[in-house]
Amino acid sequence: MSLVARYLERNGIPTVVMGAAKDIVEWAGVPRFLFSDFPLGNSAGKPHEPDTQRFTLDLALKVLESAVGPRTTVQSPLRWNEDGDWKNDYNNLARMPAEEVAKRRAEFDKVKQTALEQRKKAGVA
Amino acid sequence: MADTTNFAPEFDAPIDYMRRTRDYYLALGYDNPYRWAHYTDAPFTALKKPLKDSTLALITTAAPYQPDKGDQGPGALYNAGAKFYSVYSGDAAHDHDTRISHIGYDRKHTTAKDSGTWFPLPLMREFAGQGRFTLAKRFHGAPTNRSQRVTLETDAPEILARCRQDQVDAALLVPT
Repeated sequence: MSLVARYLERNGIPTVVMGAAKDIVEWAGVPRFLFSDFPLGNSAGKPHEPDTQRFTLDLALKVLESAVGPRTTVQSPLRWNEDGDWKNDYNNLARMPAEEVAKRRAEFDKVKQTALEQRKKAGVA
Repeated sequence: MADTTNFAPEFDAPIDYMRRTRDYYLALGYDNPYRWAHYTDAPFTALKKPLKDSTLALITTAAPYQPDKGDQGPGALYNAGAKFYSVYSGDAAHDHDTRISHIGYDRKHTTAKDSGTWFPLPLMREFAGQGRFTLAKRFHGAPTNRSQRVTLETDAPEILARCRQDQVDAALLVPT
């Protein structure tokens, strides 16, 4: 998605990215970025909390309007929860029992195969 | 009012997803890590007119719900079969059933029950109704098929062309 933002921007359309993966978006380098420190899947606010979604959209628009140069990142002040412990879980093998790791390995093999077949079908493999 | 020395714990910072993902797949036995797009520069184009006079388009990585493509519901396992491989567009005046089962979101801490967390189209309609901006007549779906070449050479130009057709002045991109 960062690649699309860069492409639009370079071709005259100002952009703002709303996202939750700070390192990945900044590694690519985008013009404007509203970062929410939330679990992936919640770029636009917290589930069933319309107020946080409104706040997030409003802030993204303000970033779009006010950024003075590229690589402008603004971090939303909203917190997912008090202790922030969710950050220790994502793809963290240290917190996973051995049988869970084995299960994920089998799942990943399957997913890779499906994705490859689909890309072939779509002519992009 | 002043800060104290009661600092936040070390882990409580934005997740280093690239490192976490690399370590994870290495541990699963895959030593050919994904190379994330990386540039040292970034383009910048200023808004040409105030936002309230601008047409704003939504670009999403969410997929249209496809009943024949397996479980895409809340909490579904990663479903590569629900991916899409070319840009799609939808009428921004209507509601759409979009899903994110084809993306590696945080399945432990979020359930993907509320599409408002990844697809803010209804909210954008509300803001447009209040005069914040004009909502572009279509939103656009950007494929996430792990081929950066296809994104650069095919998908991004297609999205630009569609935005130009709709006289779009600015875009809000919401990756999942």
